[in-house]
Amino acid sequence: MLLFKLISYLQGYLVILVTGAAPEKFVNMSAGRGMYLWDITRVSDSAVVMKVHLSAVKALRHIARRTRCRFKIKRRVGFPFYFVWLKKRRSLALGAVFFVGALYFLSSFVWFIEVRGNDRLGVNEVMQAAAEAGLSRGAPKWQIDPGRVEANIGERLPLVAWTGVYIKGTRATIEVAERTVPEEEDRRPSHIIAKKAGLIKEILVLSGHPAVREGDTVGQGQVLISGEIPPPEEPLKPGEVKKPGEKPKPVQPARLVHAKGIARARVWYEGYGEAAVVETGQRLTGRCETRVSMKFKGKEIILSGSQIIPYEFYEANTLVKSMPEWRNLYIPVELITVKYYELVDYKEDHGRAGAREIAEERALEAAGGQIPPGARIQERWMEEVSTGHVENLVRVKAVIETVEDIGEEALFNP
Amino acid sequence: MSWSDYKKKIKRQFSEFLEIPGDVMMDLPKIVLVGNIKIFIENHRGILEYTTEIVRVNVMEDEVAITGENLMLRNVLPDELCVEGKIKSISFL
Repeated sequence: MLLFKLISYLQGYLVILVTGAAPEKFVNMSAGRGMYLWDITRVSDSAVVMKVHLSAVKALRHIARRTRCRFKIKRRVGFPFYFVWLKKRRSLALGAVFFVGALYFLSSFVWFIEVRGNDRLGVNEVMQAAAEAGLSRGAPKWQIDPGRVEANIGERLPLVAWTGVYIKGTRATIEVAERTVPEEEDRRPSHIIAKKAGLIKEILVLSGHPAVREGDTVGQGQVLISGEIPPPEEPLKPGEVKKPGEKPKPVQPARLVHAKGIARARVWYEGYGEAAVVETGQRLTGRCETRVSMKFKGKEIILSGSQIIPYEFYEANTLVKSMPEWRNLYIPVELITVKYYELVDYKEDHGRAGAREIAEERALEAAGGQIPPGARIQERWMEEVSTGHVENLVRVKAVIETVEDIGEEALFNP
Repeated sequence: MSWSDYKKKIKRQFSEFLEIPGDVMMDLPKIVLVGNIKIFIENHRGILEYTTEIVRVNVMEDEVAITGENLMLRNVLPDELCVEGKIKSISFL
């Protein structure tokens, strides 16, 4: 049926109104002569509306005369009529053709270039190498040879192991795979200093001169491994005695290196927490009421939800939705959703032991928050802080001991 | 028994014996009804009356009357027609 409609549209058809004593005769005769009629509907006692192909209209006049009917064209539908209308509006047709042509023409250029897979390589370098081989923004697609572009990028950028150039529509994608090259070593002289205070547990020097020993207490910023290696002291020859007034031998300059090593130290973190023995306050009951209202020019209209809030204490959470402003147009309508959460007073007696547990948990949490990832927790202590007089509060101090690498690189100028 | 009736009888027996469908052999109408919304009539001989309530169609020597509401002739071909609408009854007059 769809195919039939499509063909009818392309060929063009007419909607005609047939009036007369016996439109049935008109229909019979037309059908008998091979004219196709469809969608025949009676609109009144003496009138019938039907559809007929454009090519059959001439013969219909003759039939109408023979059957003593009259017919009137009500509507013309289809491509031939549209074409006639278009002929009158030539500039519109030309514009449409021009539009399609321009679209086709402009789509035969590369307008977007995307570089993918580059990590250390800059996008601009790849684009430049591609531009030399003809792939640049605005280049016509028929002049681009992806193979040549690929070869040029590979030649220009030694860091690239493989490239692929694909053109899809107006977008060109350059995919590169980079070679892995060993990183350039940092050779600038540097110390390893302490990030934080601690007690050195072990020190492993890969390069440099150890400035502290195991068991030393170090402060923040103290040099742990020095990048300055002093020259080795020459051992005294047997029989040679160091004379007190003798001039020291000419000192060789110290060797400067980029210090490397691990300095593990014991570090302590402190945290404080408190909890009330008898706790009072307000908390949510879980019951909740939603009210949706619309605000229009200062007036608020409740759309759903009750007008009176049935709770004694509550917490309100308001969400306002308004239309986005555009230029200086502003729509003064807002949708306001308010959620009321019921609150209730409560009083809870934890007992001294229970309160201490809560306080300990809080203190540990406070202390644990400072520990960096990678630190190993060795021990923890809990200590109740007493203020000397009885009060409704339990105060707890927590100490966590960890072992971690406290070394940090710091460049220096010799 | 008239001569035409006799001829018809012979034809029917012949077609029954050879199992040839009646609409081919004896020019009988073939009526297909789709629910109560659509009816196809093949081998018709013209429309006798068409209104929105009744459609009468000439078939061979009989007449088929379709009654209903909002009836509409969906298409009319020399030997086939299709009626759409809310069909209430079909009868041979």
